Amino acid sequence: MSVYLITGATSDLGFELIKTVAKDGDKFLLQGFGDESALKAFCEENKIDYTYYDVNLSDSVATDKFVEDIKSTGLTPTHFVHLPALRVVNTKFKSFDEERFMADMNVQVMSAVKICKYIMPKMAKAKFGRVLFMATSYVLANPPKNTGAYIMAKNAIVGLMKSLASDYVSNGITVNSVSPSMIETKFLAETSHLIVEAAANDHPMKRNAQVNDVVPAMAFLLSEEARFITGVNLPVTGGSVIE
Amino acid sequence: MNRTEIMAKLNEIFCDVFDDEDIVLTDATNSDDIEDWDSLEQINLLVAIEKQFSIKFSLADVADLENVGAMVDLIERMVG
Repeated sequence: MSVYLITGATSDLGFELIKTVAKDGDKFLLQGFGDESALKAFCEENKIDYTYYDVNLSDSVATDKFVEDIKSTGLTPTHFVHLPALRVVNTKFKSFDEERFMADMNVQVMSAVKICKYIMPKMAKAKFGRVLFMATSYVLANPPKNTGAYIMAKNAIVGLMKSLASDYVSNGITVNSVSPSMIETKFLAETSHLIVEAAANDHPMKRNAQVNDVVPAMAFLLSEEARFITGVNLPVTGGSVIE
Repeated sequence: MNRTEIMAKLNEIFCDVFDDEDIVLTDATNSDDIEDWDSLEQINLLVAIEKQFSIKFSLADVADLENVGAMVDLIERMVG
């Protein structure tokens, strides 16, 4: 039996990942914020054994309580997938307020730090763990302009991934991230259609990524077969970034 | 909204996007005249114009805009 802890589970990627990896007997601890109805319906329809946590990860007190709630289940996650991010705002650097930088850092990075401080020692004791973070292809090449808070947090999460991979390499735990190019999901709701269309137009395959282009790579990194892969930030870009 | 009013609002948008209060647009102004006007800033300009004028461009609409005059013509047509 696997225990999946998935943060940002109400995203389109979260839904597809749950559907892809779920096996009979698996348990899912799922975090979202303010948009649980679709996830609940999805889990019930697909007979997913889940517990849902509605947590605002930009609030550090709420995140601390979330970690306590995870502890109180008595379950040790075998897999931790960290997907949350605030929707990207296109704002000139001089116009970003510091609160926005802190909010991005709290949602994407500090929440992962708090959760990992609890689960990594547990995984180490169990001699097994799969940890996967969501990065972006923007950490691999020139980032777009006017996305400072998002890019800073994404680079920090890649730094955390590498650090954890190194710290826990001898404990049967792999820690990786995926860096997709622009994926057409509801995450882009506040991104101009012109930016989305231009990204597709500039892509060598003349399209943006779809959820089902990215989730198989995530599922692989979470699988038993990926046991010898750790500390990797895997590009899933369809060739828009070639390293 | 007439052409002069559109040009005035457009000038404000350019000053904001390129962070340069000294920009003075004419119909002939194009990307050769403003150092930072690359394809990324072009998208940022268009996004700001859409918001200001409550219009929605398609990529096809804006693919062949040669200069500010063509941009004003397009906006004038779209705002009616």
